[in-house]
Amino acid sequence: MTGGDRVASDGWKLEVRNLSKSYGKDGREIEALRDVNFSIADGEFVSIVGASGCGKTTLLRLLDGLIPPTTGTIFLDGKLMRGPGYGRALVFQQDRLLPWRNVLSNVSFGPEIQHRNGKAEKERAAHYVDLVGLRGFEKHYPHELSGGMRQRVNLARALNAEPEVLLLDEPFASLDAQTREIMQSELLRITAEARKTAIFVTHQIDEAVYLSDRVLVFTVRPGRLKEEVRIDLPRPRQLDVKRTPEFVRYTNHIWHLIEQEVREGIGLEAREAAALHA
Amino acid sequence: MRGALSVLLAAALWEIAGRTFLDNPLFFAPLSAVLEKMSELWSSGQLQIDIAVSFEEFIIGFVIASIVAIAIGVLMASSKALCQFLDPWVSMLYSTPFVAVAPLLTLWLGIGLAAHVAVVFIVVVFPVLINTYSGLANSDRDLIEVARSFGASQIQIFSKIRFPGALPFIVAGLRQGVARGLVGVVVAELFGSHAGLGYLILISGQEFDPAGLFVGIVLFALAGIGAVEAIRFVERRIAPWRAQDNLS
Repeated sequence: MTGGDRVASDGWKLEVRNLSKSYGKDGREIEALRDVNFSIADGEFVSIVGASGCGKTTLLRLLDGLIPPTTGTIFLDGKLMRGPGYGRALVFQQDRLLPWRNVLSNVSFGPEIQHRNGKAEKERAAHYVDLVGLRGFEKHYPHELSGGMRQRVNLARALNAEPEVLLLDEPFASLDAQTREIMQSELLRITAEARKTAIFVTHQIDEAVYLSDRVLVFTVRPGRLKEEVRIDLPRPRQLDVKRTPEFVRYTNHIWHLIEQEVREGIGLEAREAAALHA
Repeated sequence: MRGALSVLLAAALWEIAGRTFLDNPLFFAPLSAVLEKMSELWSSGQLQIDIAVSFEEFIIGFVIASIVAIAIGVLMASSKALCQFLDPWVSMLYSTPFVAVAPLLTLWLGIGLAAHVAVVFIVVVFPVLINTYSGLANSDRDLIEVARSFGASQIQIFSKIRFPGALPFIVAGLRQGVARGLVGVVVAELFGSHAGLGYLILISGQEFDPAGLFVGIVLFALAGIGAVEAIRFVERRIAPWRAQDNLS
């Protein structure tokens, strides 16, 4: 399917071909992902959902280039992707801000690593601080901010690296329910304004449906693409779209796809725990 | 407020004790006599010389030891081979009471600045080295991954993540170093000197002059408080997020 380093891009922003990942853990080989294929268009918002242990985070780390695939390839703008850096930015699950840097300085981290420290860079960092709604907090340190504010900084830091593709690893998982809802609608506004392609990993089905153009449902380990669900809800979406019958139909459908996997996942974890203690 | 009250109370007790049940001028001196002695030594110009000599010994030894310790700590954290090579020595020497080698250093280097600086150096270098190393060795994996995600080089990971992350540890090491270094100055001067606050303590003791002795002790105590406060100030500046949980 993919002959050589370059393929003729069919207009896809990101293409994942025959991607598999195995790694050793406690002396055993664990197959995290098996033969994953999907493509994402420019400007598309795609969520990846699945039971815990379906390799969601592994997939995101592969896409970011933090770990190499066992087999398979990832193409960004038709070019074979190697290692981390340009083109993608990862919004981490825990905010992972540098505690010794203030908000503005944390947001400037990406360009600084790329040795870009000009006046334009400073203005852009300030712009993204503003975009995530933290104007006036530029000089604050992470320990002076709430969890929701820290996640905004985490997001602004990724955006300020000017990625083609924004990768988000359950960024709202540690937030309380109300803050999470606000952050979801903020994320929609921000990705629309910044015109970003986004891949969003979550285990919250309603979050995935609310945010996405498409939801990719994964099986439990080894993670495989089980079904692709296109979300045809009109944009821009308000939070009350979550109470429409269409929305509920989507979440129910995805829940039925996942339910079996969740049960298997629980069984898998129990067997592994038993094997470990045997 | 309570702290100030406590100090005032202790000063009053000292004065009362010195005038009542501890009124033998060969063994004890009330606070007023100590202050009087202090101003006497100051107007003679001797006290300034003693302070300057001790300060010079301390600061030279402390600065050189800190630079060397941080440099070696960085090298140990960057090279596994070097770390394994040096580790047994560092662990062993860290717990060695180095004031015990003060006479040896005096024998080698003679009475004076060189020997005293050497004693300060040797007592300061290990706590700073160990703290620098452990600060760098316990770098936050998650933050290193953030840097990698943005495409950072190994040098950038060191300068932008690992070193700033280790700074609070390094400063804690410097704080231990200050305390040990002051002990080093006293001990070094007690083993042989011609001037300095340790020398003042030494001759005052030999001359049964407790007032002069207390002048030296009080000034060392004040120097200790001042130095530790200075380091705390630095700590608050470079690691504000840790300032609250660092009261020790």
